[in-house]
Amino acid sequence: MRALRGVDLEVAPGQTVGVLGESGSGKSSLALALMRLLPRNARIASGSIEYRGANLAEFTSKQLRKMRGAEVALISQEPALALNPVLTLGTQIKDVLKAHSTLDRAQLAARSKEILCEMGFEDPERILRAYPHQLSGGQRQRVAIAQALVCRPQLLIADEPLSSLDAATQAEIVDLLQRLKREMGLAMVFVTHNAGVLWSLADLIVVMREGAVLARGSMDELQRSPDPYVQSVLFPEKSVLMAPREKAPAALAQPLLEVRNLSKKFIQRHILSRKKFMVQSLEAVDLALPEGTTTAVLGRSGSGKSTLARCIAGFETPDSGEILLEGRKQQLTRTVQMIFQDAATSLNPRFTARQVVAEPLEIARWKTELDRMARALELMEEVGLDSASAGRLAGEFSGGQRQRLALARALAAEPKLLIMDEALSGLDVPLQAQMVRLLMDLQARHGLTYLYISHDLNFISLFVQEIIVMEAGQIVERLAPSRLGRSEHPATRALVMASERLHAPGVEAVV
Amino acid sequence: MIRYIARRIGHGAVMLFGISIFLFLLLQAAPGEFLSDLKLNSQISPETIVGLRAQYGLDQPLPVRYWKWVESSAKGEFGYSFAYNVPASTLLWPRARNTLLLSLPAVLLSWLIAVPLGVLVAGSKWRWVDRLFSAGTSTLLALPDVLIALLALLIALKTGLFPVGGMTSIGAQEQSIWAWLCDLAWHMALPVAALVVGLLAMILRHVRASVGEVLESSYMRAAEGHGLSRFKLLFRYALPAAANPLISLFGLSVALLLSISLLIEVVMSWPGIGPLLLESILSRDLFVVIGAVMLSTVFLILGNLLGDILLYAFDPRIRRQA
Repeated sequence: MRALRGVDLEVAPGQTVGVLGESGSGKSSLALALMRLLPRNARIASGSIEYRGANLAEFTSKQLRKMRGAEVALISQEPALALNPVLTLGTQIKDVLKAHSTLDRAQLAARSKEILCEMGFEDPERILRAYPHQLSGGQRQRVAIAQALVCRPQLLIADEPLSSLDAATQAEIVDLLQRLKREMGLAMVFVTHNAGVLWSLADLIVVMREGAVLARGSMDELQRSPDPYVQSVLFPEKSVLMAPREKAPAALAQPLLEVRNLSKKFIQRHILSRKKFMVQSLEAVDLALPEGTTTAVLGRSGSGKSTLARCIAGFETPDSGEILLEGRKQQLTRTVQMIFQDAATSLNPRFTARQVVAEPLEIARWKTELDRMARALELMEEVGLDSASAGRLAGEFSGGQRQRLALARALAAEPKLLIMDEALSGLDVPLQAQMVRLLMDLQARHGLTYLYISHDLNFISLFVQEIIVMEAGQIVERLAPSRLGRSEHPATRALVMASERLHAPGVEAVV
Repeated sequence: MIRYIARRIGHGAVMLFGISIFLFLLLQAAPGEFLSDLKLNSQISPETIVGLRAQYGLDQPLPVRYWKWVESSAKGEFGYSFAYNVPASTLLWPRARNTLLLSLPAVLLSWLIAVPLGVLVAGSKWRWVDRLFSAGTSTLLALPDVLIALLALLIALKTGLFPVGGMTSIGAQEQSIWAWLCDLAWHMALPVAALVVGLLAMILRHVRASVGEVLESSYMRAAEGHGLSRFKLLFRYALPAAANPLISLFGLSVALLLSISLLIEVVMSWPGIGPLLLESILSRDLFVVIGAVMLSTVFLILGNLLGDILLYAFDPRIRRQA
């Protein structure tokens, strides 16, 4: 199979080239090929990669080692997974320095501290001694960038460095990269599926499709391109034409779920000390979900929104407060189903699609084996999956299809309330749009109630009746989607600003 | 850390207690006792046997016997050997020392060989290394331990380079310490080699599998992208990250090695716990059997404790949970 076909790309010193494309367009393969880091089953069939006149494709492994990290550096996709979990961050940064220089211990420590300060850390000493699991996702990504830049490379290859970070953190990282580009004269290849971040960052944009370059030019030039694919990756929101739905009479509907005065604390040890301390994850949260409506809970990572979801779904026992489902005390029940952010890890990859969907039916001892099979196929069709693929393993489906599979599985239990914990955050915008459309469809058909948890504002105004903004375990604001742009509260403002920062101007119709 | 270890030791003590009760019940359920053979002898009157039973305390009810054993264990005697007329401990201690003399070097040697070799095979880019490795370890795994021991004996017999059995040569004690140690090492060579062969393949496979899995991870690709040397990538980045399941295996390997070593001791006539256990089971020498099994349990618990401590030292994520 050919992942890349005849791609030409040129990066001048200090220039930033954005590589834009849908999932599966070969852009990540391109990033890895530039570093000669392709997996073992891949090889460069033809062509050359020239860095300052030397062909990387013909480098020996020793030459490659000298080049990687010192001349050309990489930040990879998942900040959570880019750092070794059992080594301190100090070790990992210093090892890069040691590989490319002959600094002594004091110099190593000084340089590591310096680069962390440049990345905006105020307490580099603590970071150097910490392990990856002790930092937040945004901090980890900044450390990963520090590691890549510590030897002052000339070219940085960033492979989707923003995915899986919350919107506010994404905006911070974009600011950081922009500052570094200015201060260090860094050339950059920035691979992404989000055109919004390239507005402020890229000098030149290359649009990729099915392993080939489809179009190239500045943002302005590309905007005028008549090609529908270019338009759809530049403005994914525009390509998804959806009429805002008429508002359901939320006030009249019976509340399906009521949450009263819910609190939850976690006990944690302080980083690097033996002292225990309490983290207030939820504090006196009140909530009512009217039947047949969608409520969004927004907030940064760590604001307690996932804990709220887990309490409602029955995975956590709240310390105090009540959760009433249809007026009764709620226990772990099939009436409430949950869909998680990452279907790759929430579905057993060794199950076939049909097994995945039929499992809740089996647990409920629903009818006979044959009926269950038929129902599973029906559910797959309902969420827009081809029932002919029912025999394929869950792990073989693409990200968007897996999320549909997770949805079909949740529907099998015939729930009334569906909790979506960042269920769309891992998908690119066109896929998100398809899912939103599907969700609205299902809601209309089955009268489902949704609790939609998210850190970004994509499509919020299209399918949500009420927005709840959380910060530090508390609900800080409740508002209708139409008032989001005019909100005065700083937590809400931060979300709106981050969203504007990451999306192309003019497509804020979503807010 | 200290609390963590203390808790582990507490678990171990509870386990020993439970196993001792279980052993008493099990041996009680087994048919026959030390004196059963005497009943077949027509020259010995039933009265004598009743007297002997009373003397050995075999007529007492089980809880009383258990309590007496606990008392004698507290004194460090662990009951009494019917066959040798000595406290069980005087039989057990030298045997335990001899068993450790075989199994400790065997455990260390297997891990010292398996870890670097497994990491190198996992990191190798050539397919033939993989094939050779799979074929080799499968063969080793398929060999029964008895066969390995017998092969070792055959080698000793045919070549004459190694002693066929035993722990020291006759009269070795009278020589200088140095000569005695050399003699001991010479006798140890074959049994230790047999143990290592019995254990190596399993450890090698686990090392290769867990390091191989870590090598696929994105942080290894990131580290490679920073231009670190191959050696550093494998041993400093991949190995510690892969160590977690291996350390758990370390505790298990101690246990497994003990069961292999019992067998190999018998075949190669090494005066360890193995031959003693076999002999005492055959003669129904109750307290020696119990003592030998309890000792094996202690080794097992210590092996696992060591594994837990290593895990705590190696993995920052476990440190946090503990």
